[in-house]
Amino acid sequence: MKNSNITLNASGREAREARFAYRIAARLNQRADALDGDISERLRFAREKALECARSARTAESRSVVGINASGGALLGGSTGWWVKLASVLPLLALAAGLLLIQHMHQTAQISVAAEIDAELLADDLPPAAYSDAGFVEFLKTPRE
Amino acid sequence: MASDKELSDFLKSVEKRAFKRAAYAVRDDDAALDIVQDSMIRLAEKYIDRPAAELPLLFQRILSNATMDWFRRQKVRNAHVRNFSDFESTDEDGDFNILEALEALDGSSRTESAADSVSRAQILLIIEQEVSQLPGRQREAFVLRYWEELDVAETAQVMGCSEGSVKTHCSRAVHALAKALKAKGIAP
Repeated sequence: MKNSNITLNASGREAREARFAYRIAARLNQRADALDGDISERLRFAREKALECARSARTAESRSVVGINASGGALLGGSTGWWVKLASVLPLLALAAGLLLIQHMHQTAQISVAAEIDAELLADDLPPAAYSDAGFVEFLKTPRE
Repeated sequence: MASDKELSDFLKSVEKRAFKRAAYAVRDDDAALDIVQDSMIRLAEKYIDRPAAELPLLFQRILSNATMDWFRRQKVRNAHVRNFSDFESTDEDGDFNILEALEALDGSSRTESAADSVSRAQILLIIEQEVSQLPGRQREAFVLRYWEELDVAETAQVMGCSEGSVKTHCSRAVHALAKALKAKGIAP
């Protein structure tokens, strides 16, 4: 009972505060409506500038969407949203995959060249001059594990 | 996505209040106009793809941030000396009774005599001055909640604080205004 009274009092107080506050806000509106002509004009200029920016932003956005649609999005039926985002990511994925493939092919070519050289060296006869090389003699003396 | 007309109508509906809100904070009409223009442009450039219904809350947040940026720039330049961090006021309301203030302002003879003694324009000016003299956070909460008519949650979102803080700031602002206006014999 006591709690419900406290709640009622609190809500009543809030309602009174709100009533008073909205009355103040109404007076503030009257002051704002009576703004200086110069300030109103500058606000109008600011608004128009913002609208120009919005138009430019829209134009730039529509150009980029058209570009994507022309290059890849059109293949997907020209749908927007996720398809457009996906279409814009596809070229990057293709580029990354191409770079990985090139790197892999390059490594394979290097390995096969090295293998060929090793095979030729092992299969070739040992030149007599090798026995006069101190390092080679030392190599021959070293016990094999 | 908001159309040109929706954006234009929205900016037109909010521009004067936005200017006043910025002017209360920075106390400089030129700076306030710059802040409002920057906020409008930021909204138009960055958030034009948002639905029209989201514009009010977005704009209020942008305006708050732009005002804070202005204060930061001023602080860096050391051109403006103001205790911006002094948002928390001491609660001097004591046991002030809002109901008493409301009753006094509800068409009593005292209200009539006060209204007769001061012109309407002067009363509005005094009310505006009292609002602008509120501590920063209280004023922001009051203006957003009751002038911009955001709900408590939206006000908290714009101010970056809890809903409880918004209620406290609003309540303190209302009491401070009621007390100040009553002392001057003014009915809002």
